[in-house]
Parts: sequence; C-alpha cells; structure tokens
Amino acid sequence: MVNSKQLVALLVIFGLIATCPFWIASAPTLNTVIAILYIALLGQAWNILGGYGGQFSFGHAAFFGTGAYTVAVLQIQFGINPWLGMVAGGLFAMGVALFVGFASFRYGLRGSYFALVTLAFAEVLRILSNSVGFTGGGVGILIPLERDIANMQFANNRGYFWLIWTLCLACFLTVWWLGRSRFGAWLMAVRDNEDAARALGVDVFKTKMGAVALSGFFSGLAGVFYAQFYLYLDPLIAYGSAISIESLLVPIIGGMGTLFGPLIGAAVIHTLSEVTRHNIGDVPGVALSIYGVLLILIVMFLPRGLISIFSVARRAISKRRTADA
Amino acid sequence: MTKLIHTPIKRRQFLAGAGTAALVTGFPAVLRAQEPEAIRLGLVHPVTGFIAFSGTQCRAGAEMAIADINAAGGIKSMNGAKLEAMLADSQGRPELGASETARLIEAGATGIIAGYSSAISLATSQEAAKTMTPHIVDVGVADNIMERNLENTFRFAPGFGSVSRSAVEALKAINAGGEAKTAVIIHEESLFGTGTAELLAKELPGIGIEVLEVIKHANPTRDFTNIALQLRSLQPDLIIPANYYNEYVLLARTLRQQRIAAKGIYSVLGGAASNVQFVKEFPDAAENIMDCNHWYDPNSEVAVQRRAAAEEKGLFYTYEIFLAYNAVAFLADAIERAGSTENEAIIEALNASTWDNHGMPYGPTKIENGQNTGAQAVNTQVQGGEIQVVLPEEFASAEVIFPVPA
Repeated sequence: MVNSKQLVALLVIFGLIATCPFWIASAPTLNTVIAILYIALLGQAWNILGGYGGQFSFGHAAFFGTGAYTVAVLQIQFGINPWLGMVAGGLFAMGVALFVGFASFRYGLRGSYFALVTLAFAEVLRILSNSVGFTGGGVGILIPLERDIANMQFANNRGYFWLIWTLCLACFLTVWWLGRSRFGAWLMAVRDNEDAARALGVDVFKTKMGAVALSGFFSGLAGVFYAQFYLYLDPLIAYGSAISIESLLVPIIGGMGTLFGPLIGAAVIHTLSEVTRHNIGDVPGVALSIYGVLLILIVMFLPRGLISIFSVARRAISKRRTADA
Repeated sequence: MTKLIHTPIKRRQFLAGAGTAALVTGFPAVLRAQEPEAIRLGLVHPVTGFIAFSGTQCRAGAEMAIADINAAGGIKSMNGAKLEAMLADSQGRPELGASETARLIEAGATGIIAGYSSAISLATSQEAAKTMTPHIVDVGVADNIMERNLENTFRFAPGFGSVSRSAVEALKAINAGGEAKTAVIIHEESLFGTGTAELLAKELPGIGIEVLEVIKHANPTRDFTNIALQLRSLQPDLIIPANYYNEYVLLARTLRQQRIAAKGIYSVLGGAASNVQFVKEFPDAAENIMDCNHWYDPNSEVAVQRRAAAEEKGLFYTYEIFLAYNAVAFLADAIERAGSTENEAIIEALNASTWDNHGMPYGPTKIENGQNTGAQAVNTQVQGGEIQVVLPEEFASAEVIFPVPA
C-alpha cells in the first residue's frame, strides 16, 4: 500500500518536473533543474548501496569516471555512437563496481574498511587515467562539438533535460522496485544486521554484489551524462574526490535509504549553493562558508535527513489530534 | 505662554519653492536618462578553490581594465557608455564555470572573459557559443580551446603549442654553446603541465638535449624531497618544471635546500618563474631561473605604467593581471569599433582587430580562427631580484646568464 502511494507520488513528482521545459524560458534556470536531476541521479545511485545496503562508499567517482571515460573513449578512439556508448558506459561502470565489490565483500570488508577500499580504487583509477594514452592522460579528452541528436549533443538544453530526466526516472523507479521486491528486503536486512540476515538464509555476498552492480550502473550513467553535457573530461574531473563526496552528501542530507531523500537532498543542496553564491556578494569564499554552515546545521538538527521533516510533522499532527480527541 | 504667529506661505512662494525642488530632485533623473546604458561584461574566474590565487589576480586585472576604460570616457562610439563588471566564481570547476556563464549571459552580459584554467575555458566558451556571445579566453593555453572553431571564442595570448615552440627555439639559442646535454622535465598532472611536457619531450632531442626522465606530480603536492633526490641521482644539466605557482615555489625551495645543482632551471609557463611575488618572497630560490612565459614588453610605456598602477594598488603584477587586463581591453576595443553590443557586430570587429595598445611584445593583433597569431611568449630570467626579458632580442632588457654560476 505504502509502495503504491510512493509510486503515485514518484510519478506525480516526475510528471511535474517534466513540465519544466514548457514554462521555464530561462536557460540558466533550466540548467539548474538539469543539475539537480543529475546530482539526484548520482545521489540515488549511491543510495542503493549506501542507503539501502548500508555499505558506505567513499569512492563512487570510480564508477562515475568509468562511465564518463567509456562514452568519451569509444567515441574518440573507435567512432562508436554515444547512444551505444551510454549503454557501454553503464555496463563498464557496473563491471568496475562488481570488481570492487568482489574484492571487498569476498573478504568480508565492511564499514570503514569498505569505504577506504572504494576510495583507494577511485584514486587508482585517477592515477591510471592520468598515465595511459587512450584517456588522453593529464591532457584529458575533448569530445568534438557536433550538435546532433545522433551524437547525443542537443541544440538546446531541453534535449539534455529529457535525457537526464529519463535516466533519473529509471533510477528512481529501480529504487522504488527495491523497496517492494524480495531483493530489496534482503538488502535492507543485510544493512540492518548482516549476521542475522545470514542466519535467516539471505545470501549476503550475492545481495551486496547485486546492490553494488546496480549502484555502479547508475553512477556510470551519470558519468555518461556529464561527458556528453560538458564534452570534456580529465582525470580529476572524472575520478576526483569531489564526485564521491557529492554522491554521498546528497542522500545524507536528503535522507538515506529513502526513495525521495536524494531528490530532496539534490534540490536543497544545489539551491542553497546557487542562492548563497548569487546573493552573498562578490567576496570570494563567503558564499561557500555560509553554504557549509547551512549544511552543518541541517545535519545537526535533522540527522535522518531533510525527509524526516515530513515524519516529524506527521507525528506532531497526529499528537495534536489525539490531544484534541 | 508663547503666542503662535501664523505666517501663511504665499502662492508665488509655494510655486517657486516647488519648482526649485522639482528641478533639484528631477534633474539628475533627466541626466541619468541621457546617460547611455552600461555595457556589462561577465568575468568568470576561480576566485575560490585550488587555483584561487590566479583567479583572484585575473579578476583584479580585468577590473583594473574596466576602471581604466571608464575613466578614459567609456565606449566613445556608444556615447561614452560605461563598462560594468559582472562577477562570477567558477570555484575551479568547469561545470560551475559553464553554469555561471549561462547565468551572466541571461543577466545581460555583452561578452564573457574567462576562465584562467584551460579546462574551465573549454566549458565557458562552449556555453557562450550556444548564444554566440563573444568570449575571450584570458589565460587558458590549451591549443584545443581554439581548435573547435567556435565562432564566438577568441584568445589574445598565445596557446601552448606556440609557447612550447618558442621555448624550444629560445633554448636552442641559449644553449648554442652546447653546455646542456641532458634535461629532466617535472610537471603537474593536469592539461597544462602534461601537454607542455609531452611537447618538450618530443622537441628537445631535436636540439641536442636528451630527456633523461619526465616526472609527473599531483596537484597539490606538498613535498618535493623525493623528486629532488631523483634529480640528484640523474644529475641533469637542465631542470625543466611546468607547474602551478604553489608547487613551483615548493619545488624551487626544495632544490635550493637539497643543493641540487644544475646548469640551469628553465621553465615553460612556469607558475612562479615569471611571478613577481615569488621573486620578492624567495629571491635566493628564484635567482637565475629562466622561463618562457607570458610577459609584457619592458620597453613599452603603456605596460610600465600599468605595472606601476597595479603595484600602487598593492597587487603583485603577475601575468594573470596583464593578460586578463588585455582580454577586457581587446574586447572593449572591438565594442568601440563595432559601435554596438550586438554579438555579430562585436565578433566581426574582433575578427578584424588590429589593436596595438596592449603593451605586449605582440605587435598589432591579427586574428585567425579566433587566435591572435601575433601573440608570443618571451624568455625571462631572474637577475639581481628582478625579472628581466632576455629573448627575443628586440624586447630584451638584459642578456641571458647561462650556464648559471654554481
């Protein structure tokens, strides 16, 4: 029942977001919506593994960067169409995720050890992409500007909006499915108590591998989107820690292990960042400091994420009703 | 008890007073209405983040240019319209640079000056291309910025293909006696350092210098001791660094501390070797370092005056300042000649530019595919605590010292 309501809410929210290109005339405002969806995709991808599976990754840039480099390298070196490259990007990222997952879960790494391993993998990939020729090394890789839908390069931002909207919706629907599927139940059981889940017959290793694969796939798709939107990549952009931090910050602020947390987190984080940047004047660093303080306040007072505001409000209303009765 | 005296204002007095008040309060509005609308220029620089120093310097240079142009009467062909800076911070991130560019364009920017680093310039110019807004790359040196044939994108300064060629030719002239036979290249890992190192590694053997090793380091790197030890074992005649300011300073200081002796340190676009701050703060480490870099014409009165004006404001006159200054002035000159803020008219004027009031060793601007083909780097050397131009000879203020005294 709850899940059906969530699905309706999800479709309504994405339906409302889908109206944006029809009434937002301003290119930067539409850019902001695109950025929110892109960050929400990154955050939701992390949320599958971190929020639902309880496996905190500090190195999601490894999957993001692999997706981004795959679509770029396939285009530049092999002339493969980016639409095909997008699928390959997701799959390659999934492959890297499975490798990282196998290397970690096979040997029972969890908690901070797993976090450090993912961080190390991202760093190794950054160094590798800096050193090998086909990624362009430190010079990076520039996708030629050839605006054509066939090249996944759109004449205006509306095309990019629909691309990221579709990817984001697919990811959110997958997470909604997780919430009602047997696999999702196993995953949450592993998150809550791994040993108890194992005792109940859950194949912990397979469950975690499934989660890391899904998470890697969607992170890779976010990387593909980034590469096609900005048409330039270098090792720091693709595998730098900024992406890993952004991936985990969004669900933590919005609400880990929830369907809508990453969307709320992305919207609030990005809007806060924009508002502070544009309204605090031109003194360098002040906007960033205020943004940081606001994030700290959110984490301090809403440790379960912004989404917990709704449950707090719901509890307050029902308490008042009970008192009135 | 005080008696109130009623003194009514006469009708004539009221009309005279009201008329004067209307004149006093209303006239400035009439004057304002006659003032031409300001021309807004978007300045997108990384004023926070890991390249904040350079971004801040760029912003300062661009703002100086705007102030100077306004003080000289603004854009005369447009009734003295004043230039107005619209500031944006890319935080060193290309995607933020692009979104800030879009925001500034929508807010009415006539042109964009961006973005210090090559990666950011790639993103900002591409964003500006969507609306064909004129975009001037101030410092970004990557050749591929100009190889995309974006009609709106122009660069006043040279790219690193040109700089590296100049560097190799100059090194050939400096090393005419054949004192240096080996070199080690130390470079930072991004687009700028890697690209420069690749070009040099290919070209140096052609002038009789064997490249013993190419050493890459991360950004940031806070300890160069291991690299210094590698240099000690390799014993190259030349050490060639290509890195940003902080790493350059640390490297130069470590070489000094570890007493690594070479016949010369020759930088290409060295982040600090042509930096007044480095020379003032670490004179011992900087002495005799050579650099092929952006630098002004020391014989140009315009350039010398600009440097004095910048130093009066307490600024270190680094290449970021004069390149960003000239990027703004180059665009302003085009707007002046176009007599319009229409994108097409400005782009046409930029393409036809023959501007020469820049104080750089370039000659009049000559634009091909957006690039000023007259732009060139010069060779400098720190001598007696001052940065001197040593090559090309027509701009030289001192003779090169090579090999450097032990």
